[in-house]
Amino acid sequence: MLTFLALTSVALLGIVPEQSQAIVIYTGWERHALVGSDIRLSCSFFSWRWTSEDVTFSWTYRPDGSRDAISIFHYTGGAAYLDNKGPFRDRLEFVGNPGRRDGSILLKSLELSDNGTFTCDAKNPPDIVGRPSSVRLLVFEKVPIQAGVITGAIIGVVLGLLVLIVVIYYLMRFLVARRVFSLSVSKHGKKKKEGSQQRQGPVPPADPSKIKV
Amino acid sequence: MLMLAAIVVLHITTIILLLVAAIDNAWWVNDSVSADLWGKWEFTNNVWHYTNLKDYPEDYLQAVQATSVLACVFTILALFVFVAQLFTLPKGMRFTFTGILQIIACLCIMTGASIYTAKLHVNESSGGYGHCYILAWISFVLTFILALTYFILRKKKE
Repeated sequence: MLTFLALTSVALLGIVPEQSQAIVIYTGWERHALVGSDIRLSCSFFSWRWTSEDVTFSWTYRPDGSRDAISIFHYTGGAAYLDNKGPFRDRLEFVGNPGRRDGSILLKSLELSDNGTFTCDAKNPPDIVGRPSSVRLLVFEKVPIQAGVITGAIIGVVLGLLVLIVVIYYLMRFLVARRVFSLSVSKHGKKKKEGSQQRQGPVPPADPSKIKV
Repeated sequence: MLMLAAIVVLHITTIILLLVAAIDNAWWVNDSVSADLWGKWEFTNNVWHYTNLKDYPEDYLQAVQATSVLACVFTILALFVFVAQLFTLPKGMRFTFTGILQIIACLCIMTGASIYTAKLHVNESSGGYGHCYILAWISFVLTFILALTYFILRKKKE
């Protein structure tokens, strides 16, 4: 699992040894979802000990604005217990793999009242000291469109025009300067025009600021 | 020297005001709703929810979004060009390029704020314009003044 790889890499970076007996739990920070869709809330942990058979995962839910949290999921002794009385009855599914330290749950058919904070607490006996981690769920009716097609088009076209105008302006100045320079060369010597151009070699570009445009 | 500092400070203030107007959420404020160009906060069941803008004329809203972003971009560009022109412009010349960028920014924010006034919230009775809307108009005035300044100002001939 990707989460397990992430965990190992974080461990290699050096989780502070003085926490060697503490368990570290990882969930997301915030999740966004549409009304009616399903969302997977992931939870995994890092522990210096091997994954024990008595590993437990529990999820609690605290609605936005409420002070109480209710328990909605518990995995212990190899069996998962889902909410069958609360707001998530028949809408919860366990999709994690405790053997791989994954305690993720799947919430189906999200409603606007599901906005809130989900807290995952994992224990890996004898490693039980740790802080539960929380993920905030935000449910939208429609994913807030930050900017639409028209917005992007207007911005792109205007900025593109600006760049184009600046490039054309400097190009015109450069070309006019060159034309003035090559005209003065041809006035001095038509016969040796090619020769003089070759002798001059790399023509130094005329200084635009000195030329009246 | 003092004038230069004053102009730079005014320009930076304008940039900040434009950014706040574009980003902060208070273009239209109600007792329970606080809306801006990107989404709105609704206060239902004693909790603030962030939702998208429904029932808005989409194309006009997106035009306002685009013009306010462009106004910010052009005024920031104008500041950089002004600083560059301070060093590269020949003496006695006017800061035309800076002035042009600034007037474009002024036009953009004017267009955006006008469209917002004319096409959005026309029929709503409750609520009023929030501070971001006011800041947008104030920055229109400031960008206009700055653009005029850049068109009139000449680099000092030593």
